[in-house]
Amino acid sequence: MKDKVGIPRGMFYYDYYILWENFFNNLGVEIVLSPETNKDILDKGVHACVDEACLPVKVFHGHVDYLKDRVDYIFIPKFISVYRREYCCPKHLGLPDMVRHSMKGLPELIKPKVDLKKSNRDMKRAIIHTGKYFNKSAGAAIKAFNKAQNRFQRYMESIRQGAMPIHGIKYDEYNPSQILLLGHSYNIYDRYINMGIVDKLRANDAGVITVEMLDTHTMRKHTSGLSKRIFWTHGQRIVGGAFALMDEGLIDGIIYISSFGCGMDSVLMELTERRAKKLGIPFTILTIDEQTGEAGINTRIEAFLDMLKWRSKDEDNLPTHGEYIHSR
Amino acid sequence: MSRYYMGIDVGSVSTNIILMDENKDIHYKKYMRTLGKPIDMLKEGIGEMERDLKKVEIAGVGVTGSGRYLADIIVGADIVKNEITAHAVAGLNFIPEVKTIIEIGGQDSKIIILRDRIVVDFAMNTVCAAGTGSFLDRQAIRLGIDIDEFGSLALQSNNSVRIAGRCAVFAESDMIHKQQLGHNQSDIARGLCEALVRNYLNNVGKGKEILAPIMFQGGVAANVGIKAAFEEALGQKVYIPKDYDVMGAIGVAILAKEEVKKKGRSNFKGTSIHNVDYKVSGFECDGCSNVCEVVEIREDGRLLARYGDKCGKWSNSIDKDNIKLA
Repeated sequence: MKDKVGIPRGMFYYDYYILWENFFNNLGVEIVLSPETNKDILDKGVHACVDEACLPVKVFHGHVDYLKDRVDYIFIPKFISVYRREYCCPKHLGLPDMVRHSMKGLPELIKPKVDLKKSNRDMKRAIIHTGKYFNKSAGAAIKAFNKAQNRFQRYMESIRQGAMPIHGIKYDEYNPSQILLLGHSYNIYDRYINMGIVDKLRANDAGVITVEMLDTHTMRKHTSGLSKRIFWTHGQRIVGGAFALMDEGLIDGIIYISSFGCGMDSVLMELTERRAKKLGIPFTILTIDEQTGEAGINTRIEAFLDMLKWRSKDEDNLPTHGEYIHSR
Repeated sequence: MSRYYMGIDVGSVSTNIILMDENKDIHYKKYMRTLGKPIDMLKEGIGEMERDLKKVEIAGVGVTGSGRYLADIIVGADIVKNEITAHAVAGLNFIPEVKTIIEIGGQDSKIIILRDRIVVDFAMNTVCAAGTGSFLDRQAIRLGIDIDEFGSLALQSNNSVRIAGRCAVFAESDMIHKQQLGHNQSDIARGLCEALVRNYLNNVGKGKEILAPIMFQGGVAANVGIKAAFEEALGQKVYIPKDYDVMGAIGVAILAKEEVKKKGRSNFKGTSIHNVDYKVSGFECDGCSNVCEVVEIREDGRLLARYGDKCGKWSNSIDKDNIKLA
């Protein structure tokens, strides 16, 4: 019988799932992926997790809860660093330990440490460590990973061509305005916790760009002018990506999605908002938390899009909006 | 018989209906407390309007406020617009060169920044209701003052008391403490007005360039104490329009007029809707673990609308052609 590995659909799932999926497939291991976030998962997560954690961490706990009785292992890597001289958010550093201490009745956790702060050598150790759970030799594990890595690179390439992460769907459509949807990947691509903002923007004829669509080199070039280096990798991506798109005049407005109480966001939002103000680019922040009422978020999105249209036309020509909740 | 455009603002605290003529003059205005019954209030408001005015011709209808989609289902609106845009349009109609609009309603507060007659920035309060009308309402009850007299009481004070305005709960304990120390009512009232203004400027107005002319609208603009506190904090004159409490409805009526002009007809179902029986019921869908709360509205027994589901299983299940025959 094959061993089953559970992968919670949360946090770095939105960055690395394609890599993990291919790696485990190549090892011949069966994957069980938790479903898209739903009310039940959110409720379970809020219940299981420590109170002061941010929303995506709570949601992650909910996904672990879904998986715990269905699998033999749960895969929660301990992400310390994914880039030279940079760190991940402290919540990623402590994720497997947070889960381990908050939840009971868990299957064994596979929690390889990924620390590329000094060199890429640690990656190898993490791969071999994971392979051992399935009686794979170091060579076999590394071979499986390299193959997965190639597949992952192709996926990343399609994202850079403008496809939406995780499903890699590219929308070919003409949009009068392009909105940069900014924030952590797990807030932007989890359509339950952000109340389907991508679909809402599309329904209102706005194109959606995310920083995942830019290449690392471009992003890092644009943060090099800052007085202090950003030492969070997600921060580099968010600020660098926003700067690049703003400086090159490729976007009409920015919507920053932030989970309530995110410490990293408090810095990143300020940095991007200052640049946006200087360049006269509309910028708004949507704070997401455990609330499920959509009225507040809808009003802000509609008003923001009205503002963009207003700026590009005269005020006597306000367009009518489509509605979300019913059709005539 | 005159032709009017109707503007409806269904907010969390108040439901407002106005009638505006072709020259954008306001002929009828109704401000009601929503009391958690938006459909009943809408029907009642439109019914009363019909009784008051006998025969009117409604050329177009616009709806706004957090209950705008519901209102649209009931009345058949020509335009459904968010509150920010509606307030901005109304403000521009009052002072064309307005640069800042402060709007404080029952449960939310907004700032709208305009330059050259265009909205360039806006903000709304986040999850917290400190610094809105409900906050003042609550504190007035605590002080045993009628909310209508709150502002004039605050103006009588020569010496304000500092009250923490960051959080409604803390403000309350701070206020009780000040009462125990023997401060008089008017000083505390003024202190509360200043606390609300401070909270507004630090939260909603954070980082915004507040330039004159400044307009103040929304239900809280009735409070002269708040107006004075704003003028003191900003060092500028603050203008309050005559119809400050129904500006959202005015804005959306103006938009409805433009929409009807473009479209050539109105979707309005007629003033007789106050005789129609609307039944709202809800159920929890058990199709998936989202367990969406689906709301159903029936018009004289016939299914009119369904919403609240994330996947569209219920909201798309209605025969749309059927609705058009209504």
